Amino acid sequence: MIGTTKKPMEEILGALEGHRKVAVVGCDGCAKVCLTGGTDEVAAMAQDLKAQGKEVILEVTPERTCNVAKSDPVLKPVQDKLKEADAVLVLGCGGAVQITRHLTEVYGLTVPVKTGLDSVGHMDTLVPGTLALEQCQECGQCILNETGGICPVTKCAKGLLEGPCGGAENGKCEADTDRDCAWILIYNRMLALGEVDKLKRYMGPKDYSKAAKPRTLYIKEGRVSS
Amino acid sequence: MKLTELFAQKEFVITSEVGPVKGCVRSNGGPPPEFLQEALDIKDYVHAVNITDNQSAFMRLGPLAGSILLKQYGMDPIFQMTCRDRNRLALQSDLLSACSLGIDNVLCLTGDHMKLGDHKAAKQVFDIDSVQLLHIARGLNEGHDMVGHSLTKSTDLALGAAVNPNFDPLDLQLLKMEKKITAGAQFFQTQPVYDVKLYEDFARRTAGFGVPIMFGMVIIKSPKMAKFINANVTGITVPEWLIQEMESVPKEQYKAKATEITIRLLKDIAPLCQGIHFMPFGWSDIVPTVLAAIKP
Repeated sequence: MIGTTKKPMEEILGALEGHRKVAVVGCDGCAKVCLTGGTDEVAAMAQDLKAQGKEVILEVTPERTCNVAKSDPVLKPVQDKLKEADAVLVLGCGGAVQITRHLTEVYGLTVPVKTGLDSVGHMDTLVPGTLALEQCQECGQCILNETGGICPVTKCAKGLLEGPCGGAENGKCEADTDRDCAWILIYNRMLALGEVDKLKRYMGPKDYSKAAKPRTLYIKEGRVSS
Repeated sequence: MKLTELFAQKEFVITSEVGPVKGCVRSNGGPPPEFLQEALDIKDYVHAVNITDNQSAFMRLGPLAGSILLKQYGMDPIFQMTCRDRNRLALQSDLLSACSLGIDNVLCLTGDHMKLGDHKAAKQVFDIDSVQLLHIARGLNEGHDMVGHSLTKSTDLALGAAVNPNFDPLDLQLLKMEKKITAGAQFFQTQPVYDVKLYEDFARRTAGFGVPIMFGMVIIKSPKMAKFINANVTGITVPEWLIQEMESVPKEQYKAKATEITIRLLKDIAPLCQGIHFMPFGWSDIVPTVLAAIKP
C-alpha cells in the first residue's frame, strides 16, 4: 500500500485559503488502512473544516481513489457538487489526488484539487492499525531472489547491493541504531537457507533507467516505459 | 608514488590522514593552509596522506582540491572517494581528473550516511557502492569506462579500500572484503581496532587474501574522546581498559599516556600487518616517537 500521514491542519487550511465550499474525497484503500483517509477520517475532516468556517458540500470515499475504475463511478454522479465546490480536498496518496484532479478535468471542471496528506512510501502492514514498514522501492529490477527475500535497496539505508558497509554495530544500522542492519539480516537468512555463497557474486551497478520517472505501465503488454 | 609499488618493494607503509576544513583555503602565495600543517609536520615520516571526502557527511573542502594542495607541498595524496555524493558519471569523471592531475592513489569508500552529517536533508546518491567503484576504477585503469567505452588514455591509479575488523559477524565483512579484492582492491586500510586478539584473528583470517593491509590507528587523546567515539561512531569500540588507563593520569599527561598506549598496541599489531595508517586528529607530533619505538 501507499503509506500516508495527515498534514497539519494549519497547512491544510493554508491550502484551502480563499476557498469556502469544500468537497472532501477520501480513499477506502490504503488511506483507510493508514487511518488517514477512510470514511471515518473524511467525516472527521469535514467536522474540522466546518469548525473552521468552511462549508463542506460533499463527502465521498471511493474504494480506491487512485483507480479510475473505482473513483469515476463515485465522482461522476456528484460532478455537480464538484462543480459547485471552491476546492476539492483529497485525503489520499499523491496518486489519489492526481486521479481526482484528472477526473475533474475529464468532467470539464477547473476546480483546485488539494491534498490533506503526505505520501510516505510503499508500505506493508506488519501490525494492523499500528505499524507498517517500507519494503519496496519499485526499482523495476527486483533482486529479492538473490537476497533471501529481504530488499537491500529499501532496507539498507544506503541501498547497497554488494554487502554491508562497515558502520553497523551490534547488528544495528549506522544511520538508525534502532534498526537492524539489512545486510546482517540478509546474511543470517542466507545462512539459514544454506545459500551464503550466492552473496559472493558481484551484483554490479543497478540499472536505474528502469526506475527513471515518470514510468508508464502498459498493462496488457506487461511493458513499462519511461 | 603508488602505494602498490611500495608494497611490492616490501616496504612497511606508513600513511596519515587529514580532513579538509569547511572553507576555501586560497592562500595567494601565503603560508600553507592550516589543515595541511598536520600532515606537513610528519611529512618525512609518512609515505602518503589520505585526504577525506566530506568526512562524516559534513560538507567541507573537496578531496580533489585537498589532494592537489598536498602534492603542491611535496606529499603523496591518497584521494578518498565516497559514493554518497556523486553518481557514476561524476565518480568516473573525478577518477579521470585525479589521475590527470597527478594523483596516484585512491581509496574507494561507500561513505557515511547523510544522517550523521550537517546536511541531513540532502538527497543521498549511493548510485554505486564501494565494491562497484573499485570494479569501475579498475576498468578505467584498463582503458574503458563502466559501459565499455574506450578511454583516450587509461588511468594509472593504485586502488585502496577499507575494511572493519570490528564488524560482527566478521564472516560477512570478510565476504565483502573478498568482493572488493576481486573487484580491484590492491590494498586495505582498516578501521581502528583496540583489541589485539580481535586483530590477530582478523589478520589470521585474511592472511591468505594476498593483499596488503594497513592497520588503522586513531590515537585516543582523552577519555572524553574515547567515550565520544563509543557513543557516536558506529563500528568502532574503544575498550574500557584504555579509557581507564587514560583516566589514571592527569590531563597534562594524556599525550604521554596516549603515546605509550599507541606504542604498546602497535608493537603487538605491526608484525601482523603491512603498514600503519595513522589518524592522529591533531597529535601528529607523536607519530615519529611511535614509529621510532616500534621499529623492528
